[in-house]
Amino acid sequence: MASHATADHDLAPGEIAKPNTGWIWKTFWVLVGITALEFVFVFFMNAGTARNTIFIILTIFKAFFIVAEFMHLKHETKGLIWTILVPTSLLIWLLVALITEGSAIGEVLAHMFS
Amino acid sequence: MAHHAPSATATLDAPRTGTWDGGNEPFKASYGKLMMWFFLLSDAFTFAAFLTTYGFIRHKHEVFEGPGKFVASTRWWPVPDQVFNAFPGLHGVDLPLAFVALMTMILIFSSVTMVLAVEAGHRMDKADVQKWLLWTILFGATFLGSQAWEWSHFIHGTDKGLTMADGTVFHGANLAMNQYGPVLFADLFFFITGFHGTHVFSGVCLLIWCFIATTNGTFHKRGHYEMVEKIGLYWHFVDLVWVFVFTFFYLV
Repeated sequence: MASHATADHDLAPGEIAKPNTGWIWKTFWVLVGITALEFVFVFFMNAGTARNTIFIILTIFKAFFIVAEFMHLKHETKGLIWTILVPTSLLIWLLVALITEGSAIGEVLAHMFS
Repeated sequence: MAHHAPSATATLDAPRTGTWDGGNEPFKASYGKLMMWFFLLSDAFTFAAFLTTYGFIRHKHEVFEGPGKFVASTRWWPVPDQVFNAFPGLHGVDLPLAFVALMTMILIFSSVTMVLAVEAGHRMDKADVQKWLLWTILFGATFLGSQAWEWSHFIHGTDKGLTMADGTVFHGANLAMNQYGPVLFADLFFFITGFHGTHVFSGVCLLIWCFIATTNGTFHKRGHYEMVEKIGLYWHFVDLVWVFVFTFFYLV
């Protein structure tokens, strides 16, 4: 216990750097803004492919800000960025493929007895 | 020959510097941080599997096209803002997506306080790390509480319920039946939001442990707060998953 008490004592208040939080709050307001925009579309636009496309684009924007800024990926090496992004894009491909497949199966089931 | 031994040992212990003998660090990130990234990637596979399943099943079902106002039926997929329109303490008031908006804000806020804790860790500011970790724990726990309420409301259902073919009324939802629409709708709700909630719960546990370690001075003695950073990565990932769950479950 004594050892860390000494470590605390060594830290005079002047030795701690000033917080640099401007970019954090900027990212926060971007995320809040996009979420607010999503609610505007929920209530003032009719449901449909166009609205869903807008939602997906806004979601990707939000994901970009969280991953790039909060998770700091934008500031990592190119190798690490690609290591994360390439498998993720393959997942998005899978998502699109299976949604298309789901529509096709739904169509088949709907006309099975007619 | 014995006097040659020390120099031989020194040669063996020389740090490796070549490109192909393990001497370089291509990602310029520590082992722990890299492994957290790869874990999160594997976790993204799990959540993508859930959301892919959701997309597949949803597109397999009919879309409600009217005429008139939406009514719940096992024939078509429910409209989310007709299902998630309740707010704690305001029984019977139609507030589409209001509570889920609040939950989203709480989680975004927790992400901000988390990144503030990481920033404080870079400056070796123990008091600030403690402060922001506590805020993050508070927001995380509040989110979990909100989710518990959301689940409870979903399970117990509305006063109206769904009238079955035999004239009885069914309220709420379980894994085999629900008043909102196709059986799979409730199943997917329980599994996707449940799996996300489990992640939040694990995150809160990690944060509490991290707060205790910070308070004990463990990271200060170590000379860096990288553990806060690694748990931060996990926490932001949980927020990221919520962004997708929010879009695909509540908005589209």
